[in-house]
Amino acid sequence: MSLTSALLTAGNRAAAALYAQAATTTTVAPAQQAPNPILPSTTELLWGSVSFAVLLFLMWKYAFPLVAKAMQARTDKIRSNLDEAEQVRQEANGILEEYQRQLADARNESNRIIEEARQAADQLRQDMVRRADEEVAELRRRSIEDLKAAQDRVMGQLRLQVRDLAIDLAEKVVGASLDRERNLALVDQLIAELEARPAGGG
Amino acid sequence: MIDLLAQAASSSTAVAPTEILKGLGAVGAGIGYGAAAIGPGIGIGIVVGNAITAMARQPESAGVARTTMFLGIAFTEALALIGFVVFILLKYT
Amino acid sequence: MLEAALKFPPIGELVKWPSFGPGGFNKVALICVAATFFTLLLFFLAGRNKELVPTGVGNLVESVVEFITDGVILQTMGQEGMKYLWYLTSLFFFIFFCNIFEIIPFMQFPASARMAIPLLLALITWVMYIVVGLKKHGISYISKSVKPPGVPFALLFLIIPIELLSTFIVRPFSLAVRLFANMLAGHLLLVTFAVLTGALLGSSIVFMKPVAILPLAMDIAITGFEAFVAILQAFIFTILTAVYLGSSIHIEH
Repeated sequence: MSLTSALLTAGNRAAAALYAQAATTTTVAPAQQAPNPILPSTTELLWGSVSFAVLLFLMWKYAFPLVAKAMQARTDKIRSNLDEAEQVRQEANGILEEYQRQLADARNESNRIIEEARQAADQLRQDMVRRADEEVAELRRRSIEDLKAAQDRVMGQLRLQVRDLAIDLAEKVVGASLDRERNLALVDQLIAELEARPAGGG
Repeated sequence: MIDLLAQAASSSTAVAPTEILKGLGAVGAGIGYGAAAIGPGIGIGIVVGNAITAMARQPESAGVARTTMFLGIAFTEALALIGFVVFILLKYT
Repeated sequence: MLEAALKFPPIGELVKWPSFGPGGFNKVALICVAATFFTLLLFFLAGRNKELVPTGVGNLVESVVEFITDGVILQTMGQEGMKYLWYLTSLFFFIFFCNIFEIIPFMQFPASARMAIPLLLALITWVMYIVVGLKKHGISYISKSVKPPGVPFALLFLIIPIELLSTFIVRPFSLAVRLFANMLAGHLLLVTFAVLTGALLGSSIVFMKPVAILPLAMDIAITGFEAFVAILQAFIFTILTAVYLGSSIHIEH
């Protein structure tokens, strides 16, 4: 206050006095002189510095760290949550890849098995066809041989029988040639015998 | 100020020379402040206009433009404020 | 005549607050103490909140702190400036509360409209950026900051005094005057229209009374505007402090 009052000029004082004179009806005359509006007042400077110093000290010591710590804690928490989520996501991706790989393996495996089975079946079918062909050929060959053998045997027997028959016939013709009636009967009899004899002849 | 001028006008015959000087001082202070406000007025207009152009051209960097705009306004405005302070000084010292 | 109605008090009367306590404790001192108290109250309320998601006060405080981090420090000083976060936050809240009392009923005076408060804060900033510059660059801080690189020798005689003046004298002065004059101008505007309203209401001419609605409306509008100015000036003081600190940390013209 002393500083400001010292700096007040005579003109200023005159203005204040003028104002006091003009304003007697409405306002109370100022008990102390009006301070200069520009110059800082010492007491206000003092009070301002004291309160600001107290503010700075308390903020630095207690209040700001409280808030900063809370904010830092939240930042850390969010970051750790994000990291965790990222980790989980990567794990899930790993598992998914593993599953997909296994699925692909299984599909390949089944394809391979089906292919093998198809090949095996093919092989089997071809084998069976081939073997059936061979058997058929064998059967045919054997039946042809059988037939040939039977034919040979029949032919042989037939030859023998024909010879015997011819001999018999000749004997009979020679032995009983006197009687025509008798020869005819004999031939008839012979034919009957031939007919009665079974085809295979034994 | 109005009081002084009114008093000076009503009692033109018996005015002390100091009062005339005070009245002239008040007039000078008023004109001075008015003159001091012209330049910063134009300057702030230019600053804000260009800042708006910048923001419209690059909306993604509007935050930087806004901060810089306020800084520019603060620097420009200081001139007007010094004029204001001089006005008070002229009137009170 | 109007002279009976319009008795505008001198500006000196508008900022005169009689002391009512020890050591010249007046309204300005009370507002300073209140600003300190409310800032600390906000921070303790915000710090008490142990929940993960901040609510109410905590949200407000933390968004301001985040704004000062992202919008002020990182843009002007970079990561190096994070150690000034607590100071800039305190500064912002202190100035804001000093300013906002301009529009709070029954106080209606910004402590920053007295030169003492802005001058104090500007002096702190001034000392801070000089000390930071000297600590970071040694004595070459002074020569570096007054001599921009790449200036021809002949111009140095012109540049060095200008730079010396602008860096070490005009800076704190303009910083203080900016805040002081903004708040005083706002206060004067409010007072002017309030006085005008009162004078018109108390006018002896009856049909002048309803006209009082015009300055009253203006007063209300200016009150809203001053709330904005209170925040803006706190922000500008804070960011300019950060800019000056940054210019001491990285001397580049």
